[in-house]
Amino acid sequence: MALLVDKHRPRTLDNLSYHSDLSARLRALAQSGDFPHLLVYGPSGAGKKTRIVATLRELYGPGVEKIKIDSRVFQTTSNRKLEFNIVASVYHLEITPSDVGNYDRVVVQDLLKEVAQTQQVDLGAKQRFKVVVINEADHLTRDAQAALRRTMEKYSPNLRLILLANSTSNIIAPIRSRTLLVRVAAPSEDEICQVLKRVGEKEHFRDVEALNQKIAKDSGRNLRRALLMYEAVHAQNEVVTEKSLVPPPDWEALIAQIADEIIEEHTPARILQVRAKLYDLLTHCIPATTILKTLTWKLIPKIDDELKPDIIRWSAFYEHRIRLGTKVIFHLEAFVAKFMRVLESYLNGIELDFD
Amino acid sequence: MRKRNDLVVLSSDGEDDDCSVSSSNRSYSKPKSRSLIARSNPRGAKKARLSGSRSHLSKESSNADEIRFFCKDFDEVFNGFKVSAGFGGSNTKGLWVDKYKPHSLEELAVHKKKVEEVKVWFEERLRSSKAELSNVLVITGQTGVGKSATIHAIASHLGASVCEWNTPTPIIWQEHLHNSSTGINYTSKLDEFENFVERIRKYGLNLSSSTEESKSPTVLLIDDLPVMNGKVSFQRLQSCLHLLVQSTRIPTTILLTDYIKTDSADHSGRCLEELQLCLENAGACKVAFNPITNNSIKKTLSRICRQEQCNTTAEQIDLIAKVSGGDIRQAITSLQFFCLKPDSMHSLSLRDTTTTYSREKPDEVSSMDDGFPLQFGRDETLSLFHALGKFLHNKRDTENAMALDQDEFPLQQRLLRLPLKMDAPEKILCQAHGQARPIADFLHENVLDFMSEDAIGDAWAVASYLGDADMLLSTFRGMLARYNEAENVLQSAAASVAVRGVLFGNAHPLPSRWHAIRRPKLWQIEQSSLRNKNEMVKRRFNGYSRPSFSDFSVVTMEYTPVFKWLGQGITGGLETHQALTQCNETNDDFDKMSLDDKESESTDDEIEDW
Repeated sequence: MALLVDKHRPRTLDNLSYHSDLSARLRALAQSGDFPHLLVYGPSGAGKKTRIVATLRELYGPGVEKIKIDSRVFQTTSNRKLEFNIVASVYHLEITPSDVGNYDRVVVQDLLKEVAQTQQVDLGAKQRFKVVVINEADHLTRDAQAALRRTMEKYSPNLRLILLANSTSNIIAPIRSRTLLVRVAAPSEDEICQVLKRVGEKEHFRDVEALNQKIAKDSGRNLRRALLMYEAVHAQNEVVTEKSLVPPPDWEALIAQIADEIIEEHTPARILQVRAKLYDLLTHCIPATTILKTLTWKLIPKIDDELKPDIIRWSAFYEHRIRLGTKVIFHLEAFVAKFMRVLESYLNGIELDFD
Repeated sequence: MRKRNDLVVLSSDGEDDDCSVSSSNRSYSKPKSRSLIARSNPRGAKKARLSGSRSHLSKESSNADEIRFFCKDFDEVFNGFKVSAGFGGSNTKGLWVDKYKPHSLEELAVHKKKVEEVKVWFEERLRSSKAELSNVLVITGQTGVGKSATIHAIASHLGASVCEWNTPTPIIWQEHLHNSSTGINYTSKLDEFENFVERIRKYGLNLSSSTEESKSPTVLLIDDLPVMNGKVSFQRLQSCLHLLVQSTRIPTTILLTDYIKTDSADHSGRCLEELQLCLENAGACKVAFNPITNNSIKKTLSRICRQEQCNTTAEQIDLIAKVSGGDIRQAITSLQFFCLKPDSMHSLSLRDTTTTYSREKPDEVSSMDDGFPLQFGRDETLSLFHALGKFLHNKRDTENAMALDQDEFPLQQRLLRLPLKMDAPEKILCQAHGQARPIADFLHENVLDFMSEDAIGDAWAVASYLGDADMLLSTFRGMLARYNEAENVLQSAAASVAVRGVLFGNAHPLPSRWHAIRRPKLWQIEQSSLRNKNEMVKRRFNGYSRPSFSDFSVVTMEYTPVFKWLGQGITGGLETHQALTQCNETNDDFDKMSLDDKESESTDDEIEDW
């Protein structure tokens, strides 16, 4: 059984409910006969992917939706075998190179070359180029991005790339300049409410306006999350009222607990307890940067205004270190310790004269 | 090297008897295992003949003899036995380790209590072969603590003969090719061992009943188990030993050398421990030999010096003993090397044996200088846990002796630390063969336990230094091959930063107390996280009716919780649950691990004490 998110996902550009201006432009682009490389960016849950799939449909017709999943094996220079999954239709393929971590360069190079060297099989296709959609493009390593850039130059007649990213900041400038940047902004709360209402009508859910607004607010303008929450609330409660509780995701609840513990006591022993919880989060594959960010936002309301800039600064500092290092727990814990230390000295009235 | 023994004129050499008995026993009971002892016999006989005819050795001796003689000479020079000029009538050939093998209980350097323990055990077994007593004794200890020597000495004391199993020499590939061309099938060492044990169990050693030796009681000595790699061979060996313990009727001693203890992360080390445990569970007695104390080694060394009449000073012996680390074999070999005249190697070029012998003049003893530097002995090694213990306990002098030093760079009060009560951290790291990554992980896992209750500032300092070490280690991630040199420098720098960071940062260490060192949970977390990730990646493709193919982080952060809420999402909920239970299982593993670590740490303390 499909989730509501998947069930009611708009299939065509016409069905998209918000950013109609952008949708119209994408349609025009698809119909213009030529198509540039795209770099679609925007926050998570804004509808990037949905738009791209709809655009592809506009480009090639409904054939794009007949997809199959391929499992490909690549060999690295050190003879390691990498298994890699590809979602493909006759006209396009979709890859997530960050699945293979540091070896993404190999995948990007080999796969794109292979695609680019073969022409469109279907002679009746509307376009003579194929499209490769690259998910999580901002997680590509520098090497992979460099490889991507060269591929873009060399094989542009046969190949169009659509990169999906949360922000352009991790994408190297040459790629940014070679692509058409398309920003998909997060939907406003009202727009989310409308979507929820429409879905609710289709599913014959009881419509509670206030609850929808609450969900829209809690979701952080993330439509996917809003829909998931909406479904969860309606699945858990027989009769949905305004006061129905929207549970936060379990990991978020855990981070809130961690924040409480950190505020409560500032000792090495407490760090150990926090560590166990952090490990729990990491085991469930919650990204470390997300943990740090969420933790910071949970901590900030609990401390004095005077400390806030300092804490934000340290949070940013350790977020950077998480990106540079390999053992995220070291840096997460360093942040926890730092926070405890700053708070402790503040409470004891000691000015920090160094660091 | 035992072949020299045949030439020793000491007639009352009980050990030698054992030796020949054991070899003859073996040749009956197990003709397949070719050990050094068995092979040495014919050569020894030849030598005896040769030495008998040495006085009138002349040109008429056959060519073959000459060649053999040359070989022998070469051998002698090579073995470096021509050590001391003042040899007292009997010959000086052979390694001192073999020559001064303890022949009686008094000569053993092993602690009296341990010897007594083993002796009592043997006496009990030999006196009455009651069924209820287990007939297997496991002796553990590091190398060179006299495990086999004790058995031999006790056996000769009790008038028993020793039948010894040595792991057969490995067969190299060429040899194997040669063998198979001549029709000899290759049997794995494990197979041979299994066969041997099988035979012992079924028939005992009575195959040699025709000879007189069988009247004297026999003890079986299994020195060093066959090498096992992989689970299958480990299980075979385990069941084989289990059977042996339960059914053997001959008093059997199994020697386990725990040389792998130094890094307990090693797989084979754990296997050995497991094996030991299994043997004990099957009812075997266990005696653990500690490293030999400095005093015993010194006593033995000076005895040898007296007998060899080489004048070494007490300090030199002291140094040798200290540097041997409780390994008496090492100590004796070092002593022999130390007493070796540097010029004796010249004889390598000389073929005439008579001159070789005439060159040994007493006055050459004096050529040994007092200032002879010790270029031998082994480097002190530390186990990883020992080193970690040092870093974590962070022992420091109580007052700063350096405080009055004028050259001292002026430091702020908060940066001052008392001097360390240990070697330079880098040296300790080197001795423990510490790799930067595991060291950092271990320190990270454990350091918080060693901090005082309210030292949150210290905790931060340590955490940030460990973070620095991590950054250093990940600088060249994925480019190891290209920048090997840089990688090495980085590794040692990172280790240094981690260790020194912990030492410096932990400004208020807890007073020394017993505390177990845990294995980094991080490793387990990384594994299970990877497993969960793979699980989810897979699920992303086949779980949904229409593959939505979202970002990975979206799956973990948004879809998974919803699946949990919904309680349905058959794929989602169940698998996460599984992952969680897996997680719990691994947690159990941790507990076991930490238990092991506790053990190993306690043994470390023992070592420290003596």
